[in-house]
Amino acid sequence: MNKIFFSFLILSFIFATSSEAQKYFTRDGNINFISDAVLEKIEAKNTNATSVLDAETGKLEFAVLVKAFQFEKALMQEHFNENYMESSKFPKAIFKGSIDNFEALDLSKSGTYEVTVVGKLSIHGETQPIKTKGSLKIDGENILASSVFSIQVEDYGIKIPSVVKDNVAKEVEIMVDLKYQPFKR
Amino acid sequence: MKMTLRVILLLFLIGGIVAYLMYNKPHENIGKASVDLKITAEALFADFEADEMGANEKYLDKLIQVSGKVQDSSTDNNGITKIILESGGMFGVVCQLDELTNHERTEFDIGSSVSLKGKCTGINMDVLLVRCVEVIK
Repeated sequence: MNKIFFSFLILSFIFATSSEAQKYFTRDGNINFISDAVLEKIEAKNTNATSVLDAETGKLEFAVLVKAFQFEKALMQEHFNENYMESSKFPKAIFKGSIDNFEALDLSKSGTYEVTVVGKLSIHGETQPIKTKGSLKIDGENILASSVFSIQVEDYGIKIPSVVKDNVAKEVEIMVDLKYQPFKR
Repeated sequence: MKMTLRVILLLFLIGGIVAYLMYNKPHENIGKASVDLKITAEALFADFEADEMGANEKYLDKLIQVSGKVQDSSTDNNGITKIILESGGMFGVVCQLDELTNHERTEFDIGSSVSLKGKCTGINMDVLLVRCVEVIK
């Protein structure tokens, strides 16, 4: 009897730890941005961001291919890649960080959780600290994540020539919206 | 004098039209564009996996015709269709269909063979091609 109980205990322990060690993943994350300057509002979208969320530690990582941002106007896409982001030299933008208040969350319960994410954002070869609010929504076995934050382009070594200072904003708003699925090997 | 003024005005007008056309220049028509190179999904993925920097130099911004077997295909709520081509490993070559093209089809059977052309944007777990159009033989 004791033996059975013991093996049951071990089994449940294994199951519990293996579900806790769950990683979540997406390759279809949406990352959009808006540059809202005096003369021009420029929007771009990227529907191929990858991200991994470790549901045990609250660590998360994002990566996005700069050349995969789509603009309405071809010329803007060209300028974005060639003049500002130098995307042939720096093809990826990467965020590595963690959920600050992760221990207070219980992702096994359905609901929406407000989170604070801290970490480092690398764009155009420059890395800067980022702290932003976001939300996690438990949706069955998936997790929906979203966040909106702003960055100063000059922090990332991106220079805007004075001729276009009314066309390209100094501060760019970034919107993250994605659906994590359990990572299955 | 009048003549010079006319010439100047005309030049301004031409300049304005050129600037306007440049500003509004359309995205490249992928359907009509000729491809820079043809490769299998497996070989493309293997190249990126072996040497990402080298592969970036070779493939970024190129219009590539890639052929392979469909590992997965889906269309999201915003009508964006992606086809993942098998690479032999866990990740593959993701081809996102061009939103500016009317496609012959947006559904692809898993396991079927397909050829698509699109712009290579690099590797981010999967190799990613955007603005893809199916190449129908």
